[in-house]
Amino acid sequence: MRHKGQGRLGWLFASPYLLYAVIFFAIPLVWSIFLSFTNWNLIAPTFNFEGFSNYIKALKNAGVHAAFFVTFKFLIVFVPMVVVSSMIVAFVVHALPKFKGLFLVGFFLPYLASGVVSSLIVKGILSYNSPVNIFLRHRFGLDIDWLGTPFSALVVVSVMIAWKFTGYYALILTSGLESINQDVYEAAKIDGANAWQRFWKITLPLLYPALYTVLILAVGVTFGIFTEVYQLTGGGPNNATNTWQMEIFKQAFTNLQAGYASAIAIIASVVTFISIYIIRRLMEWWGKRNGWD
Amino acid sequence: MAGIKKTGIIIRYVIAIGLLAIMVFPYVYMVLNSFAAWDQVDRKLIPTHYTLRSYEWLLGGGEAVIPRPWIHAFFNSVIVSAASTFLMMLFGVMVAYALSKIPFKGRHVVNNIILFQMFFPALILLVPTFLLVQKMGMYDSYLGMILPKALSLWAIFMYTNFFRAIPDTFIEAAKLDGASTWQIIFKIVLPMSKSITTVIFLFLFMERWTELLWDMIVTNSDRMLTLNVLLSQMFGPYGTYPGPMYAAAVLLTLPIIIIFLLLSKKFHEGMQFTLK
Repeated sequence: MRHKGQGRLGWLFASPYLLYAVIFFAIPLVWSIFLSFTNWNLIAPTFNFEGFSNYIKALKNAGVHAAFFVTFKFLIVFVPMVVVSSMIVAFVVHALPKFKGLFLVGFFLPYLASGVVSSLIVKGILSYNSPVNIFLRHRFGLDIDWLGTPFSALVVVSVMIAWKFTGYYALILTSGLESINQDVYEAAKIDGANAWQRFWKITLPLLYPALYTVLILAVGVTFGIFTEVYQLTGGGPNNATNTWQMEIFKQAFTNLQAGYASAIAIIASVVTFISIYIIRRLMEWWGKRNGWD
Repeated sequence: MAGIKKTGIIIRYVIAIGLLAIMVFPYVYMVLNSFAAWDQVDRKLIPTHYTLRSYEWLLGGGEAVIPRPWIHAFFNSVIVSAASTFLMMLFGVMVAYALSKIPFKGRHVVNNIILFQMFFPALILLVPTFLLVQKMGMYDSYLGMILPKALSLWAIFMYTNFFRAIPDTFIEAAKLDGASTWQIIFKIVLPMSKSITTVIFLFLFMERWTELLWDMIVTNSDRMLTLNVLLSQMFGPYGTYPGPMYAAAVLLTLPIIIIFLLLSKKFHEGMQFTLK
């Protein structure tokens, strides 16, 4: 009897999720797969089934190729950048005897910035007549087209996103550092381990769980880059910053090719899913091999 | 010996303050440029002449279709973010309570569906969700911005983990006293979850407040734009008015920073739990 009442209550309280899962997950998911086999263009009243032609077209498209490689370029540039910067902040904060919380709050502030705002600021700082560029031009004769050069555009976007996430990740790493028992260091010092050895043999292994969290979060961020790219480069120059989101946005809402965009979204999701799975596995393997987990 | 140690500590603080100064410099740049004389915007690292002209332009209306478009957009952002965040938190609490404290058949199934959905890249849903919202007649409306973002899997996940750590005896005792499920949630469970609630609220609100892609594709008319979308659309064509753009950026950033600073103590406590 009692269980029956609990059952009704349970379903009632879970119902917002179930409703949401049907309307905003199951239906769009099926619809997306359906659309990807049609040539519908968001406006026309009719459409035709075209089999796998959207997928074939997508696999031949330069924008899709770019999205595939650009994501990995962002992984290579952005992830190490944000890991190093957040480690530096975490170690600096951890070394303070007082006011750690206050500093962490300060370092967290960039996380609150809208990507649109940071894009505006970066556009200003890097504009042709900005103080930075005038200084470089007059002092060093350097004329850098920051957002018009493929590699530097990628780096600029990476720096912006690293700026945003550094404080957040530093918070995670600091709490990892706090949980390390200081006696271990004392014991190591007595055994004659130098600072370098203590870092590699004690800090890093014991920090690994926090570091793993940070890496997973940073990888997730990489696969979702949109705002900064949309605002500053539109995916350019020459597709150098063309992320998956950017490519899907362009195909669906600029070129109005809903069917084609859905096919790209499905390809992107599969690539994302497999990549994140492999990266997770590699990291777990690496941690295990070193006996860190 | 003590002297050496003291200098060591001072050096640590100098490094920390230096780093912090670098990290918050973009904000400082934004604020200074919003007050800078218009011929100095983006021309000087630290402007020398200041004026309120950018704010007058921003608050006075500029030259747009609807009166005071920036103020209008600001309130659109408030409405959309507040409603969306409120629903995400309410549903988060409800579903998490069901998953952690109500033993019903099918609870594991629901839990597994949520985990399955969490692993799905949201990217795949963008185009069909847009079409769905259009078909439901919610295109270019508040509902179109709020409802698709009315539930957060992450909030459910966080609350579920937290509620599991609350001993069942508290809840059983309240039940014996005749408390209803809602009373238990509002009088017992939520007061015990203040710090985690703060963390969840801040992350959800911040994310909703700075959303670009969805709010951009689902709206069309000037009167529906959120502040973030309006700024996004304006700083391209209005490149000749960079000063007011910085003022708009301040208008967009300041509220969220104030909210964060007001809640920062509880936030720090709550983060300690989420990181365990």
